[in-house]
Amino acid sequence: GVRQAQWLTKTKLGEGLPPSVRSIIENPAHQLEDHEEEVKRAVSHARLWDTTEVIPKREHYCPVLFEDLIHICRLMSAKYPSLAKRMLARNYRIAATWERESILLQVRGLNGILMNSMAPIPPVASKEEVLATEEHVLETFYPISPTIDLQEVIVYKELNDTGFKDGYPYSHPHTLFFLESANIRPHRFRPEQLRAKMLMFAFGNALAKARMLYGNDPKVLEQPVVVQSIGTDGQLFQFMVFQLNTTDLVSNDGIKNLVWIDSDQNLYEGALCVPIVKKGVVLKPAGIHGFQPDTFKKFLALYLHGTV
Amino acid sequence: AKTPKPAAGATPSLDVGELRSLACDALLQESFYQNKKRPLLYRDQDHTPGPFLTQLVSTLAAFLSCRNPLLAASSLDLNPEVNYYWHHGEEVVDRGYRKGRVDPVRFQIDDNPHLQIRVPKQLPEVVPLEANLGDVPVIDHKPSKLPLFKRQYENKVFIGSKVADPCCYGHTQFHLIPDKLKRERFIKAHLEDQIEVVYRANGIASLFAWTAAQAMYQGFWSEADVTRPFVSQAVVTDGKYFAFFCYQLNTLALTVETIENNPRKNICWGTESKPLYDVVEDGSVKGFNDEVLLQLVRFLLNRPKEL
Repeated sequence: GVRQAQWLTKTKLGEGLPPSVRSIIENPAHQLEDHEEEVKRAVSHARLWDTTEVIPKREHYCPVLFEDLIHICRLMSAKYPSLAKRMLARNYRIAATWERESILLQVRGLNGILMNSMAPIPPVASKEEVLATEEHVLETFYPISPTIDLQEVIVYKELNDTGFKDGYPYSHPHTLFFLESANIRPHRFRPEQLRAKMLMFAFGNALAKARMLYGNDPKVLEQPVVVQSIGTDGQLFQFMVFQLNTTDLVSNDGIKNLVWIDSDQNLYEGALCVPIVKKGVVLKPAGIHGFQPDTFKKFLALYLHGTV
Repeated sequence: AKTPKPAAGATPSLDVGELRSLACDALLQESFYQNKKRPLLYRDQDHTPGPFLTQLVSTLAAFLSCRNPLLAASSLDLNPEVNYYWHHGEEVVDRGYRKGRVDPVRFQIDDNPHLQIRVPKQLPEVVPLEANLGDVPVIDHKPSKLPLFKRQYENKVFIGSKVADPCCYGHTQFHLIPDKLKRERFIKAHLEDQIEVVYRANGIASLFAWTAAQAMYQGFWSEADVTRPFVSQAVVTDGKYFAFFCYQLNTLALTVETIENNPRKNICWGTESKPLYDVVEDGSVKGFNDEVLLQLVRFLLNRPKEL
């Protein structure tokens, strides 16, 4: 799970969301409460209304919910004009290579939906916190090898590619979105594995971008690269902010990278298309139950992060 | 009728440069900057024009939402389903145990636009309800001779979401021409005059189905005809050439009993297909046509008079 991903990417975990994101959530000037009605409508649309069948399947409602939430976030560009400088990229391929203690690791291929922006996200952790990670010791799992459950492949090219050509105006990866939309439960990732996948791909994107900006030599970065990540299965949301501090990943000492994870946030408890009726008494009416506005506030704060 | 629709409302200080750069960025990302594998066989539309259209519409709609409050309350659907079922005309059943009896002819349209914007308020009417702008040609063949009405499966009426959705009126649909009907194929088969027909047919059929389904959601049907006109817009494109259509539904009464004394007609206006750009080369767009972009912007800014 996440602990294995932490060792592989030489990362230290911080609890909750970083202070800059939390300040966006708590700032009343952003009026995150006004959008509660719109978010409820988006959830109802995705879970109840969007199909000619009685109950939509997860393969159908998970992407629809994501598109609706992104549409609500994009409409904020009326208030913050610099939000227009963002572009979504679907079906893009990432390639990043690095060495960890004589094991060559790679991250490749189609992963999720990436949102690019023209301006990078400023570093979330102060320089002191970055230097403090030097003392942190990475957790090892002796006798289990850290590369357990990873696919062993013979690769001929050690490739580092952000997925876009040079001169692309929206060159900074901002947020990666992962949608677990398989209908059958065993085909979906468990929350712990989803978080690990998010960490690996956020790291891969940040590393490819850092290699493009600063070259292939392993070193400590002056300007850390920040990539965010949001994963969901249509109901449960995982939020993550990753900061790449160093590309020197061979040894276990030195400065580490940082990640903040906020896990298992429910947007709503349940959605019923047909009311539950027992012995002529309606136990639960049709509709959305247990709506939690905080989860959307975090989604929006991560979207706005870097421009406000 | 094929006259182009007049511009809906003045746009005082629209930054054309900004809009042009947004459109060019979307086009360049999908066709040049993003590293993509080769398109799959006969799936050219999913490779570049499809994603380009999605990007263009979503960024333009977000950018224009400050000018058009209707867009700020809108709902954007990706790949929705639109269905409509109706009766029109009569035929005699020619085989089976019901042979010789007279039946209404059943029509069903099942449509999948690439993108659709639904809004909570109705667009304003273009001409009054009883306007008569010409005659409708009469076709004597059975509808199953046309590829659209070959088989009729389920009788469905759907605008893109169920009746409980507050965004129950349609604003604009975006259609992609499938690969089998590409321009290059028509030109190779020496059928250049049929290119426009494809765009027009797609516009009329899809918009009729959408507006009629919206009317049915509001409770009108062939016996209870519409009391106000339903207006929707559509853009049909193959990624480079864009054709714009606007449809006004004045009547739903098309069955044999109700069509006798019905003077109202439904009207569709449309343009010819024009290219948005000439070619994309080396990271820049050559020959960008501002007219087409401005027409698209005017479509997106369309809203009721009181807003």
